[in-house]
Amino acid sequence: MTDKSLLDIRKLRKTFPVKANVFSTKSIPLKAVDGVNLQIRKGETLGLVGESGCGKTTVGRCLLRLYQPDSGRIWLEADPDVVAEVEARDAEREEIEAELQSVFENGSARGQSRKIRELKQKIRTIKAVADRKAAEYDLLSMPAARMQRARKEIQMVFQDPWASLNPQMVVKDLIGEGPYTFGTHRGRTLDRWVNELLDKVGLPKNAANRYPHEFSGGQRQRIGIARALALTPKLIVCDEPVSALDVSVQAQVLNLLISLQDDFDLAYLFIAHDLSVVQYVSDRVAVMYLGKVVELADSRQLYQSPRHPYTISLLSSIPVADPDIRVEGQILEGDVPSPINPPPGCSFHPRCPHRIDPCDKILPELGRDRDGHRIACHNPPND
Amino acid sequence: MENVLEVNDLATYFFMHDYIIRAVDGVDFTLAKGETLGIVGESGCGKSMTSMSLMRLIPDPPGKIVHGEVNLKGTDLVKLSEEKMRRYRGNEISMIFQEPMTSLNPVYTIGFQISEVLRLHRDIEKREALREAARLLKMVGMSDPDERVHEYPFQLSGGLRQRAMIAIAMACEPSVMIADEPTTALDVTIQAQILRLMGELKEAKDTSIAFITHDLAVIAGFTDRVMVMYAGVAVEDAPVKELFKNPLHPYTQGLLGSVPVLGVGKLNEDGTRRLLQAIPGTLPDARRFPRGCRFAPRCPHAMKRCWEAEPEMVEVAPGHNVRCYLHHEVVRERKVRNLGAAGRRIAKLQEHDRKKREAKRARAERKENKRDGVS
Repeated sequence: MTDKSLLDIRKLRKTFPVKANVFSTKSIPLKAVDGVNLQIRKGETLGLVGESGCGKTTVGRCLLRLYQPDSGRIWLEADPDVVAEVEARDAEREEIEAELQSVFENGSARGQSRKIRELKQKIRTIKAVADRKAAEYDLLSMPAARMQRARKEIQMVFQDPWASLNPQMVVKDLIGEGPYTFGTHRGRTLDRWVNELLDKVGLPKNAANRYPHEFSGGQRQRIGIARALALTPKLIVCDEPVSALDVSVQAQVLNLLISLQDDFDLAYLFIAHDLSVVQYVSDRVAVMYLGKVVELADSRQLYQSPRHPYTISLLSSIPVADPDIRVEGQILEGDVPSPINPPPGCSFHPRCPHRIDPCDKILPELGRDRDGHRIACHNPPND
Repeated sequence: MENVLEVNDLATYFFMHDYIIRAVDGVDFTLAKGETLGIVGESGCGKSMTSMSLMRLIPDPPGKIVHGEVNLKGTDLVKLSEEKMRRYRGNEISMIFQEPMTSLNPVYTIGFQISEVLRLHRDIEKREALREAARLLKMVGMSDPDERVHEYPFQLSGGLRQRAMIAIAMACEPSVMIADEPTTALDVTIQAQILRLMGELKEAKDTSIAFITHDLAVIAGFTDRVMVMYAGVAVEDAPVKELFKNPLHPYTQGLLGSVPVLGVGKLNEDGTRRLLQAIPGTLPDARRFPRGCRFAPRCPHAMKRCWEAEPEMVEVAPGHNVRCYLHHEVVRERKVRNLGAAGRRIAKLQEHDRKKREAKRARAERKENKRDGVS
């Protein structure tokens, strides 16, 4: 881990309970995010792309603890010594968990209840120690008071500008709510700060006393951006900030986001399904498929020489605004499989044109670092 | 080429309680046999209302087609009675909607919904219609069509639902198909599948398609001709290659400039951040359009006359029409050139005028820059 790291996501997992059918009382887990490791550096933009249902939004919401993740750690500007120590304990715990699992799987759980109890006790103690150790830096094991302080550093811009602004509040209060509750600005300074923010996002000063319904979609998204900026965070999670907007307005908002990044020294986690938008703003891009990161690379590298078969076909299925290029690239067959019951092995293998023998059995890890370009694939076609 | 569909001066207004929305305000276009026309524009520009007017699906009241005609093989659809229109709808002219979940009926099987069209327009028995439905599902690339006909829309994924929609639209082999944002709700990989399918069907059945979308990139690879709409009117209309190579209307230029191009990084060659060419401002209120050109408030080239009267559509090159005063001059100059020696003299005078105007504009710009600098 470099000293430039702002946020470090380790083995993030989130499952949602889904009812097996309308009448059943049992629920089955839907693995929305399944062991995601990502790092966001200071002042950079990390793009997160994937088709609907791949878990990209869930990752973003987990960062703000709008969803409570099942496991994993999210380090915020952590001390590397602490990280190393906690990580060692986590590894130890995982070993015991695996042991416990094997006890259950051998079917000889009966008569071993004492051993099981002991193992469970051990896991609990190790976890408690690790969590206490991590409490200062790990967003997921922070006590409430520390979390409150950490929230100031991470803010979010939501997808739907019609649903994410409270219709009963005027713009001034929408933007000023954060600084007011955190006490960073009060009274007249708060008004001045709100005006400055409105100016930064390109809204007129008289917008301050108007209600959200008086604005168009693009302007509302500007209000949402100003609200996210109000606490001068270090990271803004942008969850599809432009997908609800028209093309011409989309360009305005993208330009705004780019110029604000330099002004406020921000890092973005830019979540979107539109690859051309993502490459336009991102330094690095992570491609997700069914809850896992399948490719992670420098933006330029990813678009010029994608290596994972999913990324390759994703890029070739984007229509290009040039009538002379009629791309007859690989068009993927079939749909994205259900995350409730993902295929064994590599979850992309049923649609993959390059699948080989172990693809349907062994899960590929995100590895093989090549100048920062990492993929999770057994048989990368272009290597 | 023979025109299957001719739309002349079509206008659809919505008469609300205390104001009128001019959703479509005089649109003309033609559709030749086997041709694909792309209709592009942002939300609220009237592209969907145009397609609804063609199908006579405008909710009345408050909507009403106030004037214009829609000639489908010589029959004016606007003048038909509702009963007669029904015989055309789904038979001669059909539609694919944007949201496959909301436009399919959730309580009927898709087999039933496809055979419904067939039974309505053809003298065909129920069981045979169902067999035909299975054949259509196979045609749109669904696996196990014989079982799929008994499934309900909720059992299908988004891509498959859109395939079922296409099967319904193609059931009676219509001569004109209107596709209203058929791929907007779908993921890119599924979008590519659906576009390929529509392309294949069009080739096979020689159907004319009006493809409505906000996504210029989809249009580029799929259509023969493109019409760009803005605030209820067409502003430019050209063969697809011509439009992308040589966009003439400032709105079209802005629209093309605001699409991020794939494969270009976020930095320019000199290391500065690359910015998109955004169009400033927003669409005008459909209740109160500007008196002159509707794009004038957002246009970087707006002149005095742009605010005074709306420009006419002029043909700048064969098949390339544009509604903009900038190009009125070009057309007039070409006419003048054709007049010979006298024309050349006039052209010289005009050239002088133009230079004067330009100098004036430059002065105004400098003034504005100065003012900006001060504030």
